[in-house]
Amino acid sequence: MSIFIISSDAREIEESIAEKVTEAMGYKLLDRGILAEVAAKYQIEPDKLNEALKTTPSLFNKLSSRQWRHHLACLEAEVLETLMADNIVCQGLAAHLYVTGVSHAMKVRVLSGNRKGIQGVAEKKGISLQKAEKWRASELLHRKKWSLAAYNYDETDLTRYDLVINLDQIDPVEAVKTITGAAEYRKFQVMTYSLKCLSDLALAAKVNGVLLQSMADVKVQARDGSVVVLTKASNRQKRKKIETIKALAGGVEGVTYVEVHVKKNILGEMD
Amino acid sequence: MTKPLEVLLLDDEPIVGRRLKPALDKIGCRVEVFQNPKEAVARIEQKEFDIVVTDIRMEEMDGIQVLEYVQKTWPRTKVIMITGYAKVDLAREAMGKGVFDFIAKPFKPDDLRRIIFRAAEALGSPIDSSLLNDEPVAQ
Repeated sequence: MSIFIISSDAREIEESIAEKVTEAMGYKLLDRGILAEVAAKYQIEPDKLNEALKTTPSLFNKLSSRQWRHHLACLEAEVLETLMADNIVCQGLAAHLYVTGVSHAMKVRVLSGNRKGIQGVAEKKGISLQKAEKWRASELLHRKKWSLAAYNYDETDLTRYDLVINLDQIDPVEAVKTITGAAEYRKFQVMTYSLKCLSDLALAAKVNGVLLQSMADVKVQARDGSVVVLTKASNRQKRKKIETIKALAGGVEGVTYVEVHVKKNILGEMD
Repeated sequence: MTKPLEVLLLDDEPIVGRRLKPALDKIGCRVEVFQNPKEAVARIEQKEFDIVVTDIRMEEMDGIQVLEYVQKTWPRTKVIMITGYAKVDLAREAMGKGVFDFIAKPFKPDDLRRIIFRAAEALGSPIDSSLLNDEPVAQ
């Protein structure tokens, strides 16, 4: 077992459980401490990177849709690259939404529980239980919307996780023991296939980040250094867009071949 | 001189055996190639191989059944699975059942050789790793 990705419906629970699992396992913790490094590396304003993890693009916030996707892609690339090393606990970086198909990454969802979760919110914010319940419901809805907009993945869908723990029923100490105990499962051991899946995801995210600097509407898949980019363009723009994508993606370290698939952009034709 | 590593290679696509056998011969393995899982299992019954490399999806008998048969007959043997239909569930199932490693096709012969090196080490018969060098992808 080499990667635990811990998420929760409550940020403080996510942080606290991840820290305890890290300590118990003697692993490295990958958390929001990486944001400053990512911002510096990709020349993004730290506030905007933070903002990208919390909000979706709208008329009222600072980020355009393309910038938002770009910032998330840069973060994703850095997180995936870091996860290539063994023995890591990851939290707070939305990795549960984009680390997909990697068999040695165990996704753990810790539910704050109805009773304890609402009590926790009421105490922290100094509000009534009724108000805390309303605040929590709206927060969950916001996170669901964010996860769907960012990764087309509903983070409240519990079938997407390998292990789900409800803190209404299981104490945090027992939850940590359950998670660390799961490290023994052979099913989650590192294998050549899962490492390759992870490196393919990392390469796709890197290329995506590079392309999103100058264009929107791109989807990238990678396998063994070969990259397939799906995009949209009008007939007039098609050739130039393919050339640009091939040049940009081909310049990313690790890319050996680029294929571009263009879907006709009807709106572009009307320009 | 150290004893060569005995490897059984099972894949119903003849090209896989043709490509991989020479790559494994080069690092000093003694390789027997099979396309039919029942014939491979009959051979496994007669002989203890150090390593069995098997495809997963095959007619008559799948790679998981081969793995179970090997584990029951020769618990020391390391089983490596190769497949063109890799998915996270299948990878976890194979790993859960005790496969040594799992690799998706297409792959480079060196990818398999790296796994063979690790398996040889786990068996206590390490091979010289300087014999690794990348070659074209095996489909």
